Amino acid sequence: MIPDVAAPLLAKAAAVPSRQRVTFPVVGMSCAACAARIQRQLVATAGVRDAVVNFATTKATVEFDGAMPRDLVEAVREAGYDVGTDALTVAVSGLRFAPGVARLEAAVAAGRGVVRAVANPAAEAIRVTYIPGLFDPRELEAAVVAAGFTLAASLSEADPVERERRVRQREVRGLTAKLWVAAAVAVCAMVASMPLMGMAVTGRVDLLARLLMPLDASLRGALPGLYALEPETLKVALFLATLPVMAWAGRTFYVSAWRGVQHRSADMNTLIGVGTAAAMLYSTVATFTPGVFTGAGLPADVYYEAVSSIIALILLGRLLEARAKGRMSEAMRRLLDLAPKTARVFRDGIEVKVPVAEVAAGDLVLVRPGEKIPVDGVVRTGKTAVDESMLTGEPMPVEKAEGDEVVGASLNTTGAIMVQATRVGRDTALAQIVRLVEEAQGSRAPVQRLADRIAAVFVPVVIALAIAAFVIWFDIGPTPALVYATVVFVSVLIIACPCAMGLATPTAIMVGTGRGAQHGVLFKGGAGLEAASSVTAIVLDKTGTITAGHPTVTDLVVAPGTRDGGVPVPTVEVERTVLYYASAVENLSEHPLGAAIVRTAQERGLEIPEASGFRAKEGRGATARVDGRLVAVGSAAFLIEQGVDIGPFTDAIDTLAARERTPVLVAVDGAPAGVLGLADPVKPSAVSAVKALHAMGLHLILVTGDVRKVAIAVAGEVGIDEVETGMLPAGKVGLIKRLQAAGERVAMIGDGINDAPALAAADVGLAIGTGTDVAVEAADVALMSGDLRAAVTALELAGATMRTIRQNLFWAFFYNVVGIPIAAGLLYPVAGVLLSPIFASAAMAFSSVAVVTNSLRLRRFAPSFST
Amino acid sequence: MTLGRILVTLAGIAAIGWVLWYFLALPPAQRASRRRVGA
Repeated sequence: MIPDVAAPLLAKAAAVPSRQRVTFPVVGMSCAACAARIQRQLVATAGVRDAVVNFATTKATVEFDGAMPRDLVEAVREAGYDVGTDALTVAVSGLRFAPGVARLEAAVAAGRGVVRAVANPAAEAIRVTYIPGLFDPRELEAAVVAAGFTLAASLSEADPVERERRVRQREVRGLTAKLWVAAAVAVCAMVASMPLMGMAVTGRVDLLARLLMPLDASLRGALPGLYALEPETLKVALFLATLPVMAWAGRTFYVSAWRGVQHRSADMNTLIGVGTAAAMLYSTVATFTPGVFTGAGLPADVYYEAVSSIIALILLGRLLEARAKGRMSEAMRRLLDLAPKTARVFRDGIEVKVPVAEVAAGDLVLVRPGEKIPVDGVVRTGKTAVDESMLTGEPMPVEKAEGDEVVGASLNTTGAIMVQATRVGRDTALAQIVRLVEEAQGSRAPVQRLADRIAAVFVPVVIALAIAAFVIWFDIGPTPALVYATVVFVSVLIIACPCAMGLATPTAIMVGTGRGAQHGVLFKGGAGLEAASSVTAIVLDKTGTITAGHPTVTDLVVAPGTRDGGVPVPTVEVERTVLYYASAVENLSEHPLGAAIVRTAQERGLEIPEASGFRAKEGRGATARVDGRLVAVGSAAFLIEQGVDIGPFTDAIDTLAARERTPVLVAVDGAPAGVLGLADPVKPSAVSAVKALHAMGLHLILVTGDVRKVAIAVAGEVGIDEVETGMLPAGKVGLIKRLQAAGERVAMIGDGINDAPALAAADVGLAIGTGTDVAVEAADVALMSGDLRAAVTALELAGATMRTIRQNLFWAFFYNVVGIPIAAGLLYPVAGVLLSPIFASAAMAFSSVAVVTNSLRLRRFAPSFST
Repeated sequence: MTLGRILVTLAGIAAIGWVLWYFLALPPAQRASRRRVGA
């Protein structure tokens, strides 16, 4: 079957290097139990070391050394699911008149991760269906060449982020279409059911039916034609309209419900599936063989409008949720965008601009000031300061000289350097952060929704009640016993399914997130909100979260000044003078500490004068002439070098250093004038926010990439007693994993690119909105103001929303639960009443209205801090 | 009570027991793997 050309390829695919790790999509999962089942099957496969199947991301990550990718696909299929595929069409030159079409197809199909390959000679193209994660486009290229053809255009690896987005878009489009159909049928069915119910009313006295009579009367006036129709015709029309709603729009519920039953777990799908199927079955019998009911003295009622409105309302809930999803993959795109696209590389002594992908380890790369360093490497020549905040979160650039290591995507600020590449492509620090975020998103615990947890118990109990009702009616009910018993059995299942259940969560989340937005808290989806409501520990990043994130002048020490004649000058005036001179020099410098000095001068309303003859000594200080006077600004060492006697300020410098301030000295005409203390100050709002979080009984931990002394000083200032220092991105993820393993539900609050993996790994990630885009995208919640007190608001709001969801679910189930005894026939001996469509409609209407009204109450939510 | 009724009653009780057991009492192995997915 497989021709010779494919043999070497197959051999290549078989020669799997020891220990591989692949992540591929899995389709058909409906609950966490499905994921467990697939996981068991994968782990049981020979050669598989470990497997994790994530229900939330619908992806499987497998580590294997002996197994073939084909075996993994087989394992997933054996478990009753399938592997998600994607397809691409590749143009192949010279295919049109070539005889080897079959050969080409076989060669391509033999490739790793390829499911199917179909060549189209007329279009000179081959369509390849493949499994993302297993498929390697380079292998496809090789296979085409091996079969004796060439690709019309070189294959660039398809963008996984783009692919993910397309899948989400498809999901939303599909749900929207289904919702429209189901909603249209539901509305028509409700209107058309009115004449049927009206007819039922004439037969019996029924309080609920009487309530509906005014509506019935006005409808009779508006649509006389509808009332003129035979009830049998109406029923058949409703049956025909409801059929596609069930078979197409509601299909996923039945498929999921069936899978759930197979895995011994009941959830919302099971409830919807059982309820609507029972209603449809009952109605179909009532439509086509009404004699079964009427013969026993029962009305042949139909519940078609219940079927379509339950499906429509649940679909509405699903659509609202699907829209909120999908944001996660944006984080990856933003991360990938951080890396520069090109690099200046020296090849044979000539500077050439090449795509970053073509930089090899050992290449010499020139990086100019203001450019990003393209790959990880070692500085060979030059001196500069590099902003490594993407890795450490610290805003202060780090001095780099010959022999120092630099990381890709960090920003070169002041000098030109020549870097020898050490790690490229998938090995760079940035690529590792990308991987960390990806893995964190993939291994995150799926939130088992509250509605599913309730349904898991509710469904079996309802089924048990239905069976009990059947037995009792069969044993002691009127004849024909079997008909009555069956009617009661199905009625219990019909009434138990609350259609408001589908609205309980999404409406509360919609109102809650809307209210959050008004207070500067953006929740990206329901899962984050649910997770935020049960947080027990909070990990807070230091820089940018608790502190401002950029250096500021916090102290200013000046020598007491005197005017001619010994009159003392007020200290404020001397301070202004020192700032005046210092800002003039620093205005010409590119150093971030300089920017802080200039900003402080502007804040104090100073006019910054022109300076001339600016000379900077890399990273240490600068001199310039201001108003004819020679001003020197810089470190103590720099001023001593300039011949300044810093004696009067040694005490001040020591004090500042002890308080973790960076001292910057100013000298005018060789005489010391003052010392500025610079630091990244604690945000004023952080103290009260931390206090409020403590008051909520939360376990707070401060993490930072900074040194211990600084971190402890900051922690002491805001009142956090647990501090973890020297934390790189992976360390923060590790800390969160440890806390989670200890049973904590962890929230992470951060702002930097280096926080992104931790934000994704935490049960809920809160990003400071003034921070980096990457952090905001990786998090579940964005705090727009940059004020830490918004985190308190977020947690309070999450709590309030979850309370509302619980109440909603109570109301959703309440009205239907009340209906169960009626459906079971409890009222029959007393009043001769069995379940009628009017009860079902009333329960549906009351529970939906109660749920929506209750959700709207969240609009009045008031946070303890108004930010 | 006729034989039919006795049989239906017994079958009903058995069915209720089975439904509750099937959905609510998970075997220990599956419970463990469920937690693993969640971990």
